[in-house]
Amino acid sequence: MKRRLQALSVLLLLGLVKLPVEQTATATLREARLLTAMPDFGLRDQLGQMSFAAALGGLRSLVASFTYLRAYNAWENVNWAMVDSLFQITTRLQPRYEHYWDEAAWHMAYNAASYYLNDETLNPAVRGKLFHEHIRRGHDILQEGLRVLPEDPRLWNSLAELYERRTYEPARAAECYLKVAEFTGNARFLRFAGYQFAQSADRAFWQRGYDLLRAAYDKNQRPPTLINTLKDLEKKLEVPAERRIPESYVPVPSGAAVPG
Amino acid sequence: MSTAPEPTPAVAVENLSKVFKAGLGKRAFVAVRDLSLTVREGEVYGLIGPNGCGKSTTMKTVLGLLAPTRGRTAIFGRSSTEVASRQAVGFLPENPYFYKHLNGLETLLFYGRLCGLAGAELRDRAREMLSLTGLEDAADRRVAGYSKGMLQRLGLAQALLHRPRLVVLDEPTAGVDPAGSRKIRDLILGFREQGLTVLVTSHLLEQMQEVCDRVGIMAHGRMMREGRVDELIAVENQTELVLRDASPELLAGIRELVERDGRAALVRSGQPRTTLESLFLEATEEKP
Amino acid sequence: MTSYRAFSPARIWTLATATVTQLLRMKILIFLLAFCALVVAAGFAFPVLNPEQQLKLLKDVSFGALQVFSLVIAIVATALLLPRDLEDRTLYTILSKPVPRHEYLLGKLLGVLLLIGAGLLLMDLAFSAVLWLREKLLLAQIIQALEAKTPEAVAQLQEIVGKQGLNWGLHLGVLAVFWKAAVVAALALMISCFASSTLFTVVVTFCVVIIGHGQGLIREYFLQGGTLAEPVKKLLSALLAIVTPDLGVFDVVDNVINGEAVGLGAALAMSGTALLYLTGYAVVSHLLFVEKEL
Repeated sequence: MKRRLQALSVLLLLGLVKLPVEQTATATLREARLLTAMPDFGLRDQLGQMSFAAALGGLRSLVASFTYLRAYNAWENVNWAMVDSLFQITTRLQPRYEHYWDEAAWHMAYNAASYYLNDETLNPAVRGKLFHEHIRRGHDILQEGLRVLPEDPRLWNSLAELYERRTYEPARAAECYLKVAEFTGNARFLRFAGYQFAQSADRAFWQRGYDLLRAAYDKNQRPPTLINTLKDLEKKLEVPAERRIPESYVPVPSGAAVPG
Repeated sequence: MSTAPEPTPAVAVENLSKVFKAGLGKRAFVAVRDLSLTVREGEVYGLIGPNGCGKSTTMKTVLGLLAPTRGRTAIFGRSSTEVASRQAVGFLPENPYFYKHLNGLETLLFYGRLCGLAGAELRDRAREMLSLTGLEDAADRRVAGYSKGMLQRLGLAQALLHRPRLVVLDEPTAGVDPAGSRKIRDLILGFREQGLTVLVTSHLLEQMQEVCDRVGIMAHGRMMREGRVDELIAVENQTELVLRDASPELLAGIRELVERDGRAALVRSGQPRTTLESLFLEATEEKP
Repeated sequence: MTSYRAFSPARIWTLATATVTQLLRMKILIFLLAFCALVVAAGFAFPVLNPEQQLKLLKDVSFGALQVFSLVIAIVATALLLPRDLEDRTLYTILSKPVPRHEYLLGKLLGVLLLIGAGLLLMDLAFSAVLWLREKLLLAQIIQALEAKTPEAVAQLQEIVGKQGLNWGLHLGVLAVFWKAAVVAALALMISCFASSTLFTVVVTFCVVIIGHGQGLIREYFLQGGTLAEPVKKLLSALLAIVTPDLGVFDVVDNVINGEAVGLGAALAMSGTALLYLTGYAVVSHLLFVEKEL
């Protein structure tokens, strides 16, 4: 009996000692992006008891893979509402996996939106409404993903493309490309941002686009699109002649070729 | 040790009581009550009694497998609660089983390592024990295929492996056929010759009678009788006379002599019986 | 008669290796073969998915199987150890030798851990081989499909596929799986020291494992402090947080699969926590077992 009491006290003592250790370990691992916060209980209703238990028990990635496969299946059956809800579950299970956000948004903003736009069984007003709604949904998914992964270049790039190709908001697309450039360090995306600024309707944005492209030009990044856009901006911004780039094509100095 | 006036006993049990606590609402069970016994070095001591009389509990307490509720037990002066006391003991439990996936030799090597033996010494000693217990031919066979008697002998082999000074045997012949049982009895007699101390329990009185120097008879957790076997079983006021080829006339003459004595009386006469055990052995060992 | 040593690693090792062979007789190797078949199947099952997702699925299924294997062995095999020895009376013959009870327990625990460790290592090797092969095949396919010829383009594809391919983080993920199983095994051993049946040990350990995965939530709720509005809830959560281990600490696998690297700090945090639990549970087991009536 005495030993049992000792055992119980050691167990309780261990319990008290371990609490701060667990807190520290969890914090360390979260900081190292190795642990994700627990899935919330709302997910339980969507997943079902078994899958939720499996997700809690360290098989979250596996459960996410299964819901992803189901979403894939729903896509094959052109069931967009199902695709959306299954991707919601998938991204909630593994919010740190950018591919899920990206693909979920792509399905909504491109596949579903275009599907409804081309669906001739619907009246044109409904088609347009559904088209825009699904683009909006794709946009929202990317925004949500970026709240979890604010430094993910892939999601910023997808958002930029969405502004550029779906909602035609060049200034916003430009801001997103700047983020991509910031997080990848790839100068190509600064030029992409420049092109988008150039296409906006606002003079202030033209100036930003000009500054970006001029800087690229000065670093000997001189693809034809850049030169053409720069010349266009020089005219729009009425840049004095002496500060404009030469009219004729200027070959890049040898040994400094930059593609793109 | 022999110079000391009171040599340290091989086993000392002093005022041992063991109570098993039962679950809620049930009464506690007293397995052993205030038991004391001493096993001297070099003797064969038999603890006998019906099943459930507390023999096994006493034995387990001596081996440190159970903790005494009151009193103490010691082996060669060392309390049973000390692990080191077990260095001097070899134990054969009732109906022993071993890891079924090991063969006879591997089983002995396993137990030998637990006793701190190793290398060539361990191998030699294990082989020696296998031959002593007659298991040489079965050394490479899986223990799962062993008969009860073979398991018992393997149990003896592991008990003796580390050259203990005390051997504790719990019902060594239980469930073993008479031939196997005799073999075990012979082994025990061998231990005595080698000067080993033996503490053995059994409910088969006949066998105990043959091998034990002293016995203790237990019932209901208490020691009922204790002493030398020949003293305990001798009926002091009777004399036995066994004759061969006696004619009816001779027997009638003897009867007449007894009657004439006045003081003595004839208790019984007839043909002596062999024990059932010897009869069985005789019958089974006859060649057809 | 040999001299007695109070602590002997050789004795513990003898008990541990005997435990390993004892457990191996329970046909655990079949599980390993099934695992390999599953990994190969998962690797080639969904060719329509994009390559990144194919590799992720392969890793998900493999790590899922690794976790199930290690936890099932940790719970069931450990729960069987003491009752089996007691039933066979091998416990009597072992403990009537000069073997301290804590060495017996340590030997048993070490045996289970050796078995789980070796099993995980083999599975890790099999899984790494399949993943590596799949990665190379997929890369070759994509390069061919996209007609990527310039070294830059190939390098870019390699980087994309490589993020989901074989890397060191995955092996550290296996280490995390091992630590979790080790903690669960120690827990099962502790419970079996006072349990009345194997079933009891299995059921109770299983429950603690489930609660242990949500212990983080419970602990944070309790440590948040604040409201005294629900003292009963608070007390219960405190009790649960104290008694159960936080198994969620070892669930780094999800993110390791996603390509996150396991740094030294993270590996130390996991190992340290695991060792704390192991030591604690071993001490409690010893206290429960040292005077257990056999």
